[in-house]
Formats: sequence, structure tokens, C-alpha cells
Amino acid sequence: MTTDLLQQAAASNQWAAIFPELSLGCLALLLLGLEMVLPKDNQRQIPLVALVGQAGILVGLLINFYTATLDTETFNSLLRHTHQGQVMRVFFLVASLLVTMLGMISLPKQKVPRVEFYHIVLVISAAMMLLAQSNHFVMLFVALETVTVGFYILVSYFRTSPFSLEAGLKYLVMGALSSGLLLFGIALLYGVAGNPALPGHTAEPMGFSGLHSFLATGANAHHFLAASGVLLVLAGIAFKIGAFPFQIWIPDVYQGAPTPVTAFLAVGSKAAGFAVLFNLLQVFSPCSWLLVPVITVMAAATILFGNFAALTQHNVKRLLGLSGVSHAGFLLLGVVASVTVPMAVGAVHFYLFAYLLASFAVFGVMAHVAGANDADQELDHYAGLAKTNPFLAAVLVIGLGSLAGIPPLAGFMGKLFIFVAAFKAGHYGLLGVAIVGVVVSIYYYFGWIKAAFFETPTASGDECQASRPQISVGLVARVVLTLLAMATVVLGFYQGPLGVWVALR
Amino acid sequence: MTQIMFNFLALLVVISAIGVVVAKNVVHGAMCLLLCLVGVAGLFVALDAYLLAFVLLLVYAGAVVALFLFIVMLLDNRGDQRPGVKHLPLYARLVALVLLLAGTASFLARAHLPSPALGAAPGVGASLKLYAYQLFTTYLLPVQVIGFLLLIAMLGVIVLSRKHEVAEDAP
Repeated sequence: MTTDLLQQAAASNQWAAIFPELSLGCLALLLLGLEMVLPKDNQRQIPLVALVGQAGILVGLLINFYTATLDTETFNSLLRHTHQGQVMRVFFLVASLLVTMLGMISLPKQKVPRVEFYHIVLVISAAMMLLAQSNHFVMLFVALETVTVGFYILVSYFRTSPFSLEAGLKYLVMGALSSGLLLFGIALLYGVAGNPALPGHTAEPMGFSGLHSFLATGANAHHFLAASGVLLVLAGIAFKIGAFPFQIWIPDVYQGAPTPVTAFLAVGSKAAGFAVLFNLLQVFSPCSWLLVPVITVMAAATILFGNFAALTQHNVKRLLGLSGVSHAGFLLLGVVASVTVPMAVGAVHFYLFAYLLASFAVFGVMAHVAGANDADQELDHYAGLAKTNPFLAAVLVIGLGSLAGIPPLAGFMGKLFIFVAAFKAGHYGLLGVAIVGVVVSIYYYFGWIKAAFFETPTASGDECQASRPQISVGLVARVVLTLLAMATVVLGFYQGPLGVWVALR
Repeated sequence: MTQIMFNFLALLVVISAIGVVVAKNVVHGAMCLLLCLVGVAGLFVALDAYLLAFVLLLVYAGAVVALFLFIVMLLDNRGDQRPGVKHLPLYARLVALVLLLAGTASFLARAHLPSPALGAAPGVGASLKLYAYQLFTTYLLPVQVIGFLLLIAMLGVIVLSRKHEVAEDAP
């Protein structure tokens, strides 16, 4: 390799293109530095620094939404900056902002170190942002592992709770297995696409553009090894989003993980999986003969499994985990439709944002209601919430209603957009399954609302309720929860820029 | 010659990998892992990837397996207290066997790749110089991200293993 080539490669590393990720990384390091420098009394301010810093980065990202690097490749084609990538960047930043807020509510209830939590959340969200823009399997895998390793730590963060440790161990084993499947798939694709004896072979079999051109040549998309590789990569991603055959870890891990981490897993990790899935779907588009039927079956099974398994749950974290599985199914429906109907991509993004708002509203209420034992959050604990704390109960109703897809709320519009896209794409059978799923889901969401509004604490779980201290909602949490609930309502009536983004596609 | 060496090493890797899973004694399992890694390193040498082979031996066989053995010694469970594999129902075992055979058979039948001359594609892992150049130019960003990965991994070890005494409660 000559010096010229090396200089050329080095010049392609445009650090300005990943300014938000860089600033998140620096902010994370700053938190650790502050912990060392500040006296013990002032350390309570560190989460606020994280909050304000992320808000600043978010504003900067929104102002520079249409950057000069849009639709270009940087870092020697390791990254590709697209409109979708920008939307996902905003999404992950909002998610980590809200997780920081939840952490400020949940962490003081436990005897755990504080600053490291915010540090790891920031690093994970930066890695997710890189993941959504990666254009090369090396970059994709490194970013994915950073996200996964961060979650291993966060899931077992409440180390005094056996549930949290169990969840951490399960997530570690399952995560390692899914990484193994993904790597095996990548290795097969690399071996096939880089083989000089095959037509259309490429010098960059790890890069997405090289791989796409290989798969599009001749009968390569029907090559047995290429198809196996594509399926294995899909399986690795399906683990992250919790789609049907790979959803087995979800209830235990969601129950054991600290509430803010459960929220981050449910929203951030899932959205990261879908961002990667969209990118890969474009790369693997010559293989759609294989992918469309597989994802169709997966979506139907995921919707049915998630909804029917959630029916019998009494622990609210398990319930939200399994309902999250069914949401992954609805999103997969959008993914299948996006192969033929481009509007489905926007619909999936809208659904993700609606899901983010509603989920964090519900998780915010959960973080307040939860006692000292974070894994033990039963439906009975919500009995009489409407009387003791009408504000939290109202936020809970709006969040759950949106998750269930009740008409004026954002969740309904999200489901409607996806169903319209699926109808246009002609997936009628899948659409029928999805509507059955929606009807079933209303039952368990309303069971929760019923517990909060119509049951009295004396009827059931009175001992737990009596021993619980009065719930007090801080000012920041009150403002954020109000904003989340209002955004959920407003997005249902008026979709604004997000809706324009859906319509433009 | 290459073919014989490949067959020998591949057999070694597969058998020792099975050994890692089925060994009742933890120390035997670790030794099987060592053997497996040596076999993989041998495969890398056969592919002219000397650097990878060297790193694999140094890091995994040298450091990681030694660490495993240290932990086994510290736990001091006499190496034979591992419960046996739980027996699955007969139908589950049959289904697993059929799936395994079908998978292997379809790979054997359909997964043939024409093998090119080895010199056709010089690997990045062949020499230290080539590898280092790539690492600090083309793959600079992943290297930086791995820096953060190692940092949070280190933090995680501290957070999860250290007892946290100070519990100043927020208002």
C-alpha cells in the first residue's frame, strides 16, 4: 500500500460528520471527570449536566438536520449519512434524554453508583447513532457490540437484586448467541462475495455497496451460501428486536432490569434493530424472494405470540415486555410492506416515535410507582392510583391508550399508517392477523387502566400499598411527563413535520 | 499436503470444541478450549494469516484460558461438581438430530465454492505492517469506538463487583 493511498484513506475520516456522536462521547467523559473533581455535596448536579448537555446536542442536531454530508459516505465508506439516519439520530438522542430523566427518578431508590449509569447510557446512544448510519459490516458489528456490552452492564446494574443479576446473565448468554449467529452470517457473506471465482465478486465484501452489487449479479442471490448468510444475519438482528423465534429472553430480562434500562431496551434497542434492518434490507434487496416470506411469517407469529402471552401477565414489566414483542410484530409488518411501498419506511418511523412517547410516559409512571424492589411491580400496586395521584394516572391512561391504538392518540395514527402501507402492498392475510392482535391487546392494556381507576387498594394488595410511601413527582419529571402526554395527544390530531415526512415518501 | 493439514486441523478443532461442551471436569474443558484455539491458529497459518494466528495464541490461548484456569483454581470446586446435561424429551432430541443432519447435509450438498489460488487475495492479517496501516487509516473510527467499548466494559466490572457504601439520598 503506497503513501498516497494511505493519505487518501486518512483524508476520508471527516470527524465533523459525526459531531453529535463525538459530543456525546465527550459529554460522557466529562461526567466521569466531574465525579472525580466535584466535592460529594455537589455530585447531585451531575445528572443535570448530562440532561442539559444532551438537550444542547439535540438542539444542535435539529438545527443542522440537513448537513453538507447528507447522502454522502465518509470514513472510507464505513458510514453513510442519509435522511433516515438523521431521523434515527434524533430518535436515539430523545430516547437517551428520557432515560437519563428516568434514571434521576429510579436510581435514588437504590444503593448503586450513579454517575457510571449516565456515562454508559450516553456511550450506548452514541453507538446506536453510529449503528443506524453504518455502511460496512465491521462498523456495524463494532457499534452493535458497544451497544450490547453497555446493556449487559445496565441490565444487571441493581446488583443487590437477584432478579437483576439473573436478567444480566440471561441477556449476556442470549446476546452472545445472537452475536455468534450474526458473525457467522457475515463470515458466509464475506466468503461468498469475496470469492474471485464467482461472477460479480467484489474487493470489499464487507462494505454494503460491494455486497449489494455482488448479490445483484446473475444468480448470486440464489446461491446457497449467500442465502444462508442473509438468513443468519436476519436472525442476529431479530434477537435485538425480539421477533418471534428469538423473543424468549424478553420477559425475564425486562422484569429484572432496572426500570429506566427496561425502557431503553424496549425503545432504543428495538429501534436500533429496525434501523439496521432497513439498511440491510436495501443491501439484501436482490434476496427479497427469500426475505419477504420469512419476515411475513415472522411478523405474524410475533404479533400473535406477543399479544396472547401478555394476556396472562400480572407483573407490569413483563406485560410491557411482551406487548413490546407485539409492537415489534407491527413494525415488522411495516418492514415487509416497505419492500414494495416506499411510504412504509416513513410509517415505521412515525410508529417508532409514537411508541417512544407512549412508552416513556408509561415507564415514567412506573418509575414513580415502583418501590424499593424494582423487579416487583404488579398490576395490584396500581390499584387506586387515580385517587392517590390523579396526575400520574392521567399520564398512564394516555400512554397505555396510545400503545393500544385508541383513536385520537398518536399510537392509533402510527398503526393506521402501517396498516395503510400493508394494504397498499397487498399483505391482506398479515393485515388480518395484525387487526386480531390489536383487538387482543386492548384487553390487557385496559386491565391495567381498570386497576388504576376502578379498583380500590383495600380489595387486593393492601399490605403492599399501605407500606408504600406517598409518591412525590419532582418538577423536571412533571414537566417531562406532561410534555410526553401532550405530544402523544397532539401527534394524534396533527402530525406536523413527522407527518410531512411520512407523506413525502 | 495443504488438504491433509486442513483436514487434520479441522477435525482437531471440531472434536476439541465438542470436548469443551461435554467435559464434566472444568479443567478438562479449559484444556479442550486451549486445543481448539491452537487448531484454529493452525488453520490461520495454513491461510498465510500469520499475524492472526500469533495474536490468537497470545491473547486467547495465553491470557484468556490462563485466566479461566485461575478462576477455576480460586473457586476450588474440585473440578467435578458440574451437574450432568439435563435429558430432553425423546421427541425434542429426535427433532434436533434431524435438523442437525438436514442442515449438515444441505451444506455438504449445495455449499460448494470454487477455490481460487491462495495468492489471489493477500489478507490484511498477513503482516503486521499492512494490518497496522489499515487500522490507523481505513478502520480508524471502529478502533476509536472500541476504545469506548473497553472503557465501559472496565466501568462495568467496577460497578458490578465493588460494594457501594455511600448512599446519600436525594431529596
